[in-house]
Amino acid sequence: MPQTLYPRGTVKKIVKAHANRPLSKNADILIFLKYALFMQEVLKEAGIASKRAGERGVSARSVRKVREGCLRKFKG
Amino acid sequence: MSESARKKQRVSPRASGDATDHSSTLYNDLHRLASIAPKPVTPFRRAASAGVTPRSATIRTPGTARTPRGGPATRPLPARRAAPTTPHAIRALRERANAARTPGHVRRRSGRVQRETPRDFLRNLSRVLARDTQPIEPTPATHPRNRRSALDLPDIDDDDDEPAAPRLSMPLDDMYDDDSFNEEPPRPSLLAPLPDYDYDNGTVQSVEFGRRARSEDPRLDRVFGRRISEQFGDLHDLTINGDEYELDGNFINRRGTLLPNDLLEQEEEEGDDTEAEIRALTGRRGRASDGDLGVFGDAEGEDEEPTFRFTIPQRLHVPAEDEEDGEEEDEYGEVDEETQRGMNETIIEDGEDEQPPVDLAYDDDTAPALASDNETGPLEIAGWESEPDAADDEDLQAYRGEVSAIDRSLQTPAPETPAKKRAGRQRRALNISRFGHEYPSFPAATVKTLANGFIKSQGSKSKISKDTLEALVQTSDFFFEQVGEDLAAYAQHAGRKMIEESDVIALLKRTRQVTDSSTYFSLAQKLLPRELLQQLRMEPLPKLRRQKRKRMEVVPEEDEDE
Repeated sequence: MPQTLYPRGTVKKIVKAHANRPLSKNADILIFLKYALFMQEVLKEAGIASKRAGERGVSARSVRKVREGCLRKFKG
Repeated sequence: MSESARKKQRVSPRASGDATDHSSTLYNDLHRLASIAPKPVTPFRRAASAGVTPRSATIRTPGTARTPRGGPATRPLPARRAAPTTPHAIRALRERANAARTPGHVRRRSGRVQRETPRDFLRNLSRVLARDTQPIEPTPATHPRNRRSALDLPDIDDDDDEPAAPRLSMPLDDMYDDDSFNEEPPRPSLLAPLPDYDYDNGTVQSVEFGRRARSEDPRLDRVFGRRISEQFGDLHDLTINGDEYELDGNFINRRGTLLPNDLLEQEEEEGDDTEAEIRALTGRRGRASDGDLGVFGDAEGEDEEPTFRFTIPQRLHVPAEDEEDGEEEDEYGEVDEETQRGMNETIIEDGEDEQPPVDLAYDDDTAPALASDNETGPLEIAGWESEPDAADDEDLQAYRGEVSAIDRSLQTPAPETPAKKRAGRQRRALNISRFGHEYPSFPAATVKTLANGFIKSQGSKSKISKDTLEALVQTSDFFFEQVGEDLAAYAQHAGRKMIEESDVIALLKRTRQVTDSSTYFSLAQKLLPRELLQQLRMEPLPKLRRQKRKRMEVVPEEDEDE
């Protein structure tokens, strides 16, 4: 089996630790889907922010600036 | 000269004979002077810095919006290219254009603080003096000036009552002749005298001009005199003695003078040690010999002292060694010194294997010859204080009697290595969640591949830097924490113990990422690789069938597509 896009066990472990509940078999795929959407959003916003600040590429600063809003946006 | 003649024709009641006689009256001279003095064009002050200078901010009149000083062109407006869209922007732009279009005399009237150039002063003066003798024909441009001359009148009168009058009647040709021009310029009491050759800036010193950095001052290249208050810190730490001006002839060089008496007092107060410091602080070490040779003569010998002294405190020698020894003995209890040596070497040897030093106490005789190359081998559990000691113990062996400063210099890099190791460990090490579970941080490699993919899809060529990756990893940790809590809440609400796909779908729906028009499956198709997609497809179908018929219909379609 080729390497998957992400370490499934790790994601499961992380979410499980935070939720204090077990995950069903494929829930982690959907979680990862959500995570991918989130990363897309973060990088999009960070790209905008860094462009506005005149930086090249995506800087850590812009990611930090943007991430709170994105997290809020993705809060259920 | 033809210009002045023309001007004189304007002043009609004057006899024509006066027109030929240039230097006879004050009025003539002043008028001519005013026409010679540089006109108040903006680049005169703005030359060095194109941007918005502090100066422009200070000068700005209350009606700024209507009369921008330099016109719209001088302002850095980042978004000027784009056509204004909002009504406010449109209005603002129109106003600015109007302001730019207003003729000069109208613009001038707009504020109380007006541009005051030497030219203006001269014109005012000429008008004031000429009022008695000749009537002035008011041109349209004179209205504001007349009004302002009333403002300035007392000053000018005060200044020019007695001594200044003769200089105004100078012949024009001598104007650029430095010495003859103003032997005794009228000087305001507060300000220091100007050097002689600021021919067209003469009255400037009575007016408060904006301050600006010395490097930006456009007047610096001409050797104009400067106001003292333009130079920021000078007045505070220096006492001015007027002789220095004549020595230097230039304000710029004025800086070198301290009042010698003050310095002497300071020296007497604070003693010899601080003297070097004082000089270093005031930056006056080299200058001291410039002005006041006699005064500094006695201090001259001590000038050879270094400004910064590295003091190696004598009393630290013995206690330092004692300290180290004491610590080791505390740690290892009854072990005598030779076993200590062997032990330390084994510690260093085993340091690569990340053994805690407690285990090392067993071995006294292993490999005393080894480990000389592993001086910096870090020990993890031992405290900060003892670690460098262990690393330095070889030095202790070699340089028993030597200065502890060496040890100290060797010690400085040592604490970093354990810290670094600890950090590396912590990244691998598990974080602890709210419920006391340990969990790993999200792997950076995954974040990197994902983020690079997204960035590439956004069309930017640059890759993710290390800092950015770190921030992203942290962000994803936050994200998973939040997601975990949300999912737990959903599952609890459903009365389940386990988090299921439906919870995640509910989460996606709640954030409007799954809507009626876009299923989670289409999202997954966009973002996830095929094998994950397949696993996803196999499982959640029955649940969806129960819950949503609509989505049920979508899924098989996509099945057929593939």
